[in-house]
Amino acid sequence: MTRTAHPNKEIEAALRHAEAKGWRVKVGGSHAWGRIFCPFNSSECRCGEFCITCIWSTPKNAFSHAKAICRVVDHCAEQKQLKLVQSKRAE
Amino acid sequence: MEYIFTLKYQLPEDAGLDDVVERLGAAGCDDALIGVGLTGRIAMNFSRDADSAKAALFSALEDVKRAVPGAKLIEAAPDFVGLTDVADLVGMSRQNIRKLMVHHAATFPTPVHEGSAAVWHLADMLSWLQLKGAYEIAASVADVAVLTKQINLANAAPMLLPAMQREVQALLA
Repeated sequence: MTRTAHPNKEIEAALRHAEAKGWRVKVGGSHAWGRIFCPFNSSECRCGEFCITCIWSTPKNAFSHAKAICRVVDHCAEQKQLKLVQSKRAE
Repeated sequence: MEYIFTLKYQLPEDAGLDDVVERLGAAGCDDALIGVGLTGRIAMNFSRDADSAKAALFSALEDVKRAVPGAKLIEAAPDFVGLTDVADLVGMSRQNIRKLMVHHAATFPTPVHEGSAAVWHLADMLSWLQLKGAYEIAASVADVAVLTKQINLANAAPMLLPAMQREVQALLA
């Protein structure tokens, strides 16, 4: 991993979770620590706004922020589709 | 209590995205996850600590108004929902909720729109499920749904032509 780690360990864990699902993390900003980018970037996506999501450097509540990041990553429509295909293949 | 909701905005045309995000952060919206994946729009997923859902939603609307004066609210969520959304929120299966709909056709909430996909107000669905009992619905979720419905209705009201208002409302009464 070459990027700088997020100063908060809960958020850093959420970012690693995002990276494990193929999201790209880009560092930069002042209030905003950086952004995460959905790997699919599909026009079919129903949660479009959150395909690029801003990460705060010092959010009001780091725990809630980390939870919200995981929510976005796990609720991604493409991700769900992928899971469905994988579970069907496994059957 | 912590209230979770999303506000979606159309940004003014000349707004620089980085600038908008920084201003929102400075205005106290650092309890929101900000999505910027669609050009000209932002979505803010708030996890706001407040005494009531009303205080949470109203203070969030106020913060955004202060930080980005020209931004136009598109939608407060969760309000417009399909069966799958309700099932996810309540923690039951879509099939289960569909069964309820078929078995209780007479009392089941009427949708806002019916077509290839049907859409309901979440508040209507939750209060119906609560009446049925047996379904545990977090108070914070139910309170937020009541507020998001009112906010979306208020947001649409200015589109109603004054000339139409009395006439149409008399016909619908």
